[in-house]
Amino acid sequence: MKDWLILGRCVLGVVIFVVVLELCARVDDALSYGAPLSGPYSSENLFLQDQIGKRGRPGARYQKWRLNSLGYRGPELRSETIRIECIGASETFGLYEAEGREYPRQLERDLNSRARKDSFQVVNVALVGQTVATAALRVPETVDEIHPTIAIIYPSVADYIWLAWVRDNPVSSATSRMTDSGQPRVRIRIELRITERVGNLLKQALPQFVQTKLRQLVIDEDTVKNHYPIMDRVPNENVRRFQKDLLRLVAALRARGVEPVLVTHATVFGNLLPVRDWDLLVAWRKFYPMLREGGFLDMEQRMNDVIRAVASQEQILLIDASNEMPPGRKYFVDFSHFTTAGAEMMASLLADGLEPLIDARLSQGRLVAPSRPAELKKRH
Amino acid sequence: MNSQTLLYVVIVPVTWLLFWPLKASRSRQTLMLFTSYLLYASWGLRFLALLVFSSLLNYALGLCLRRRQSATRLWAGVILNIALLSTFKYLPAILPLLPGTSLEPVFAHIALPVGISFWTFQALSYLFDVYQGKNLEPSLLEFLLYMAFWPTVLSGPICRLSNLLPQFRESPKLSLEDVWCGLDRICIGLVMTALGQVLANGIHPGQGLDDAFHRSLPGGTGPDVWCLAIGYGFELFFNFAGYSHIVIGAARLFGIRLEENFARPYLATTPSEFWTRWHMSLSFWIRDYLFLPLVMVRREMWWRSAALVVSMIVFGLWHKGTVLFAMWGFYHGVLLVLHRKWQQSQRRFGWQLPHSIIGGLSWLITFGAISLGWILFRASSLSQALMMLRVVVTPSSYMSHMLPRNLYFVVCACVLGYFGTIGATSLCCRYNKLFNLPLEARFALYAVAVYVGILHAAETQAFIYFQF
Repeated sequence: MKDWLILGRCVLGVVIFVVVLELCARVDDALSYGAPLSGPYSSENLFLQDQIGKRGRPGARYQKWRLNSLGYRGPELRSETIRIECIGASETFGLYEAEGREYPRQLERDLNSRARKDSFQVVNVALVGQTVATAALRVPETVDEIHPTIAIIYPSVADYIWLAWVRDNPVSSATSRMTDSGQPRVRIRIELRITERVGNLLKQALPQFVQTKLRQLVIDEDTVKNHYPIMDRVPNENVRRFQKDLLRLVAALRARGVEPVLVTHATVFGNLLPVRDWDLLVAWRKFYPMLREGGFLDMEQRMNDVIRAVASQEQILLIDASNEMPPGRKYFVDFSHFTTAGAEMMASLLADGLEPLIDARLSQGRLVAPSRPAELKKRH
Repeated sequence: MNSQTLLYVVIVPVTWLLFWPLKASRSRQTLMLFTSYLLYASWGLRFLALLVFSSLLNYALGLCLRRRQSATRLWAGVILNIALLSTFKYLPAILPLLPGTSLEPVFAHIALPVGISFWTFQALSYLFDVYQGKNLEPSLLEFLLYMAFWPTVLSGPICRLSNLLPQFRESPKLSLEDVWCGLDRICIGLVMTALGQVLANGIHPGQGLDDAFHRSLPGGTGPDVWCLAIGYGFELFFNFAGYSHIVIGAARLFGIRLEENFARPYLATTPSEFWTRWHMSLSFWIRDYLFLPLVMVRREMWWRSAALVVSMIVFGLWHKGTVLFAMWGFYHGVLLVLHRKWQQSQRRFGWQLPHSIIGGLSWLITFGAISLGWILFRASSLSQALMMLRVVVTPSSYMSHMLPRNLYFVVCACVLGYFGTIGATSLCCRYNKLFNLPLEARFALYAVAVYVGILHAAETQAFIYFQF
């Protein structure tokens, strides 16, 4: 009887253990990030869906990611500054860098320290998973809100692997995930915050070959489930579509008096062939199961050629990050996302590249700072 | 958390489940040796090969010494062990400094086998003990286990065979007291290492002690240097004492009681007392196998002081073969000699101050001197260390501070928390109100410790003493 009692208390102890772990995670989130103690708390809190697609939720905050009152990552807009907007996807939005060290923030500090005054503000209008097509659709509202002088375009090219994911027209009705009030539907389910932490811990701790094996299983499962055809290389049609969308984005910016600057897409592999770090290609393919690992670098090369061609054709300043960013894990956490040091290097490359353009513009008197912050509409 | 830690988290509970049903001590030893080799191999198979080689070599040397206790055989063993240690630990650092050595490229890329300093000193202590005629007759299996014992092989405590051998040979029954005590120690260790990490990294990224040392403080001020020195002393203490708690607790889960490695070192009121409380397994090793034999060589007082300084320099160089560690050891040697001289002067001139005054003053001076020593231990370069020490003795540098306020806050909170915890524990002991928590409350506290120690900081820094 006594043994059963001890066993029962041990089981109760294990339940208490899990409950206290979860409580600790919630208190930690509340103290560190001001997260609510109860209710859902995930990166989805950062985003809304509108007719164009995903956009930042004004004033949202999740862990180190904070959006301003316009729904852009970073601080509120300041008056009397020359604004530069950064258009891109997760590489620009910032994933792994320390808080406030994503490359747009570092670029702002770099430019201001070169100017020896607080005259520039770099606005990060990128969103995770944003395509060039969606960015082109967003140009009117972002330009209205920010009044940028220069727009740096650092496109994530991989979404053009599968054209079904590239939307080029606003949808007429709200997406199925929206409620009538414009708020995402709250799915009622209990989510343990501790599971994400344990998952992250395992990601760090599992040996690379185990992680790669697991990823390969996910890729196989995803491919079968969604009936993806397997490609060795990205079709020419997709590359042409990327070019078309990029031209549209450039035209949209120019039509509103914003000077675009194009940046080629850098990866951890640089120009080193053959690839030594096959595991990273498998990790990349997990997001695009339809393209074989060997096709990713070919895609990068061809898409970057498109960026160079568009820059040359449209006489746009080109910053060749794919050639100038040093490859390797010091600067990249994974295939294409920066470490803090990588973001610093990228910011420095951009600042060097922008300097002649800014100097020329300044000498022509064509760099103007918007004077009144009040003219900026706040989104609610 | 890294792959190795995950392996420990998986393998140790499995071993524990397999260990207790085994009745024969030999079966238990075999299981523990298998686990130890499996875990050590996760750091590199070549490292494991080296450990096995060193174990076999020292076992053979021990057999020779047991047959005939000659100084020549002992010296041969000492030289072989030091040569092995030096090849991996000191040569790669020294060779680049020697002009025209063709061996430099060969040694430049040699990786330091994890724990080599710890298990080499364990092997040496075995040889010394056998030479001194201690009745140690381990079987090969027992000796291999002694050298590779998984809780201690990476970062100590440096064990003595005379302590472990009887425990290896016993077959104790599973005791709940051992389990709870082991889990308690592991959880205390997790919390302490988390505190060490808070000190290292700061509340906000880039505002911890590590960053402050990396930035090298071109215009550091007096308060900044003291904050860094005291803070680093506590960071090291929390990290290494926390690790020692985990190791001692893990061994206790298997019914094995290891020697303590720390005993409230910052309560020491003299430098010599400090060294009986800090990294005790190494300081007692140095005392027993280096200092005492050296002192026996001559009877003069100056020789005693010289032996003290030499022992402490070896203590410093054990950590790493750099000028800074040699200076750190020398500094502590000098402190010990000064303390000895002070005691002699007190006796000679009959100086007596009230205990309440001398106790507090003595603690303050010891704490300050020990803390200043950490500058030599942690500084990135000799020039940084000298610059920081220069700032300490410049009165004008005490008028301002440059480090972020929250770093001062974290350091103060950790220091006060440390002394507060000691005070609270002492009060509990005095009034015989030791914690006797119900099972459920224990699980809740374990959860807090696991969260704080593991889950909160998923990217934990490695234990500082792994590098030694």
